[in-house]
Amino acid sequence: MMNAVDAPAHQTKTRSKEKTDRPWQVIVLDDPVNLMEYVSRVLIRIFGFSKEKAEELMMAVHQRGQAVVWSGNREKAEMYVNQLHSAQLHATLEKAE
Amino acid sequence: MTVGPTVAGGLKLVPETEHDWMLLIGIAGDSDSDLAGRLAGLMDEDSMWDEIVAPELTEEFSKQRIAVVKEVLKAREEEEDIHIVKSNAEFWYGALNQARLALEDKYKFGASEEVDPEVFEDSSARAAYFRNNFYSHVQGMLLQYVMIDY
Repeated sequence: MMNAVDAPAHQTKTRSKEKTDRPWQVIVLDDPVNLMEYVSRVLIRIFGFSKEKAEELMMAVHQRGQAVVWSGNREKAEMYVNQLHSAQLHATLEKAE
Repeated sequence: MTVGPTVAGGLKLVPETEHDWMLLIGIAGDSDSDLAGRLAGLMDEDSMWDEIVAPELTEEFSKQRIAVVKEVLKAREEEEDIHIVKSNAEFWYGALNQARLALEDKYKFGASEEVDPEVFEDSSARAAYFRNNFYSHVQGMLLQYVMIDY
């Protein structure tokens, strides 16, 4: 399972073979409203993380402002972001660097 | 207002004054009806989030607010307490969260320990701050006592 890392800066929309092969990252952004316990539970429910993994990622979001919680193909990444938005978490997706 | 857990695994809200009822009815009023649009703003244009996802989320968030207001109005009319159980806890949590997100967007309270003292010089901001704390407290109790397996 991947570790939480700082999300990359916004990238250009250049379509190279190398770039299209790179996975999409689901990024959860920090906000001062959502309760930490709630964020952990949402990550467990959506991604099936263990409690420890979810809390680790939640703390990464809280301390670094954002964290990558999943990476893979765009379609699935969008599905996850949709679920995160439905839970009212701030989330987006970006191409991996 | 008294808020506490029940032995049946729910949460009971007991409004004691007209102000308490108005506070609960006001949850929807505090909410931001464009939350889905603001979340869509986090996505790139290629996703077409505005057209595809945001309308569904708008409806979902609206249902949460409407459900809560209906329950409060019904309880008020029947002079009953309000019971939040597993089946309606998500609506309540979501509506309270919408209200808190909107208040944060408007007043920028930040984390509770970092609130700018100037906030308290504005009476509407001060009132919003205490509502925000109340909403947050109820959310915490929902997580602790009702949404155990969420």
